[in-house]
Amino acid sequence: MLYIYSMENRKIYNRIVILRKEKGMSRVELAENIGVNFQTIGYLEREEYNPSLDLAFRIAEVFELPVDIIFSTSPFQSISQILKERSMEEEK
Amino acid sequence: MKTTQSMTSIRFGVLLSMLSLIAIIVLFEVGIRLEWTTLMLIVEIPLLLILLISFILSFIRTGLWKFTHKPLKDLDEREIALTSKSLRQAYAWFAIIVLCILLVFAVFNIAVSIVLAVSLILFAHLIPGAVIAFTEKTLRF
Repeated sequence: MLYIYSMENRKIYNRIVILRKEKGMSRVELAENIGVNFQTIGYLEREEYNPSLDLAFRIAEVFELPVDIIFSTSPFQSISQILKERSMEEEK
Repeated sequence: MKTTQSMTSIRFGVLLSMLSLIAIIVLFEVGIRLEWTTLMLIVEIPLLLILLISFILSFIRTGLWKFTHKPLKDLDEREIALTSKSLRQAYAWFAIIVLCILLVFAVFNIAVSIVLAVSLILFAHLIPGAVIAFTEKTLRF
């Protein structure tokens, strides 16, 4: 089956906020590292803007993680959900 | 630049700039074709002041003017996408408006004045910012 996706409607979810805070970086620092205006970081973090493939790779390089860990087409699980599932698995 | 003005006040200012510019042109065109009266001149001065003040508040202080006139090398990919979208829409609006004006002027055999030409050039530079003000939820440049 052929799926035609609308570029306008498809939302890309990301973990930029968590990863940036984990690295102790400010929006300005991250923006300087990936070569964008710091306001664009806000748009990316609020998932109001889908980055290009090049920008996604630059972000992945800064966080030293694969692109698919940072970006996803489906919503990410929250940290509490992940921890809950992990503890349930450990109990089993 | 992150503006402290609300989007409603920015949009109101943008609209005021556009309307005052239109009013200046209309008044001038009527004035040169009929006869300049003192009242017309008295009305033209506040209109010019309204245009100037609303332009400074809604285009300069919000960063809209600077943003839409920045060189491409100073913009990132999101900003390029935003300016591209606004310029595309602005071009469409400008083409429609200019064609309508020229059609009316041609039908009534009216010569295009220098004030109208200058106003249209200013209008062309204002529309991309106006499009951004009316289509974006927030202004962050």
